[in-house]
Amino acid sequence: MSPVRIGINAALLLVIFTIQETVISRIHLPITGFSFYLTSVLLLVLLENRTGAVILGFVAGIILDLSPSSQSPFGQWALILTAVAYIIAVNAESIDELISRPVGLGIFVAIGASFSLVAYLLMDSLLGQPTGTLGRDTIVIAGNFLWTMFASPFLAPLFLAFRKATIGSRERI
Amino acid sequence: MARGGGNRSRLLLIILLVTSLFLITLDLRGIGATKSSRSLAQSILAPIQKSVANVFSPVGRFFGDIKNFPSEKEKVTALKSENAKLKSQVLVNKDIAGQLKQLKGVLDLAGRGGYQTVSARVIGRGSASAFSQTITIDAGTADHIAADMTVISEHGLVGVVKSVDAHSAIVVLMSDPAFKVGVRIARSQSVGVLTGTGGNTFSLELLDPAGDIQNGDTLFTNGSDSNRPFVPGVPVGVVTSVDHTSATLTQTATVKSYSNLGNIGIVSVVVSAPTSAPKQAINPTPQPTVTVYVTPAPAPSLSATPGGLSPTPTTTPSPTTSSSKKAKK
Repeated sequence: MSPVRIGINAALLLVIFTIQETVISRIHLPITGFSFYLTSVLLLVLLENRTGAVILGFVAGIILDLSPSSQSPFGQWALILTAVAYIIAVNAESIDELISRPVGLGIFVAIGASFSLVAYLLMDSLLGQPTGTLGRDTIVIAGNFLWTMFASPFLAPLFLAFRKATIGSRERI
Repeated sequence: MARGGGNRSRLLLIILLVTSLFLITLDLRGIGATKSSRSLAQSILAPIQKSVANVFSPVGRFFGDIKNFPSEKEKVTALKSENAKLKSQVLVNKDIAGQLKQLKGVLDLAGRGGYQTVSARVIGRGSASAFSQTITIDAGTADHIAADMTVISEHGLVGVVKSVDAHSAIVVLMSDPAFKVGVRIARSQSVGVLTGTGGNTFSLELLDPAGDIQNGDTLFTNGSDSNRPFVPGVPVGVVTSVDHTSATLTQTATVKSYSNLGNIGIVSVVVSAPTSAPKQAINPTPQPTVTVYVTPAPAPSLSATPGGLSPTPTTTPSPTTSSSKKAKK
């Protein structure tokens, strides 16, 4: 991933982060818990190779750590999303055919998003941060899973078009 | 989909994970750079949130309104018939209106000794990416708001100011799992700690294992030192169920808050607490103690009487008993 494309992706993530913080979080969705940002990050990661995915995960995590409403230590999301991005990039190679279908893609991204949230909660517990009740956390993660599964197939073509528009000729080869 | 990488990606992964751990360590050690980066993000996001709030406030409850549409329709019909009844009652209640005017005057008088507040509009809610329960309000240091100030709504406690910018502030809601507030039960004056659970219910743990708690008990904030972060006497919620199991050392209960935290539009930040502290009310009721004063019997004295000396008592020896109330501190 070239430095220019890292910058372009970071700018896109900043825009998505602003939309998440200002618009999405204001909408009272049924079941609750949709993270437009997390879904977008995982979709962008799926389009990258391992190195690109790791860099993108780290940048996305740092941006998410900037969230003023976050009460977790700065760097926690960076750690989680870097690791999750790597795991996704490695596993996506073996299930390329599955994620080329909309339903498969939706399930895969939803599992990735849920895994990130579970990892976040586990890390909160390890760092002595309060995590809330198990029931509430389960509802948030389940709600996020359903919304991510539903939204991913619709968002994927947009990010694919974005990648095609921003990728350099050298990377294309 | 692009694939590739190998040792290079693994090395990069390790470097970035170590960098993340380094950032976490810096934050946990209280290095200011990480906090200032969040406050910078807040100051950038706040104006956008403010403008977006105007556009999206009707859209925000769209899904909830769709879900509740049939019940809302029934509610409107019921309210219409109730409204007709009330209109006829208004004519009868002219006498009551006069009394109400007096009552309002009394309430205004009581209000003079209350809190000094700054009202603000909710312009954002906590991100769904994190599990924290927060709201963003459109008032900040320019409106004399500082961190650790109590935030209330028309019904009672909402939360506490976590961080503050020039024109916005982040408020941690009382439903946040990290939120803890000292409360006292209005009826029994027992003191406990209320904790957020992430949802609409709250967990109350009494400090005194023998404390008196019942369903329907009303809870008020106990207050903090120098009234930060909590001013005393703010209504918090009502006890909905009490856990009487003997397995725990302390008594616990489930509490429902007075404020509807999922639907807050306007809040008030308490910038100054009342000078007469309602904290005094939490002192235990004075226990009467009985003190017995005994006057010793005087020795018989000789007095001169016509016809000689005769021993006559001058006073009647009697133990006198008096009681006085002393407050046990």
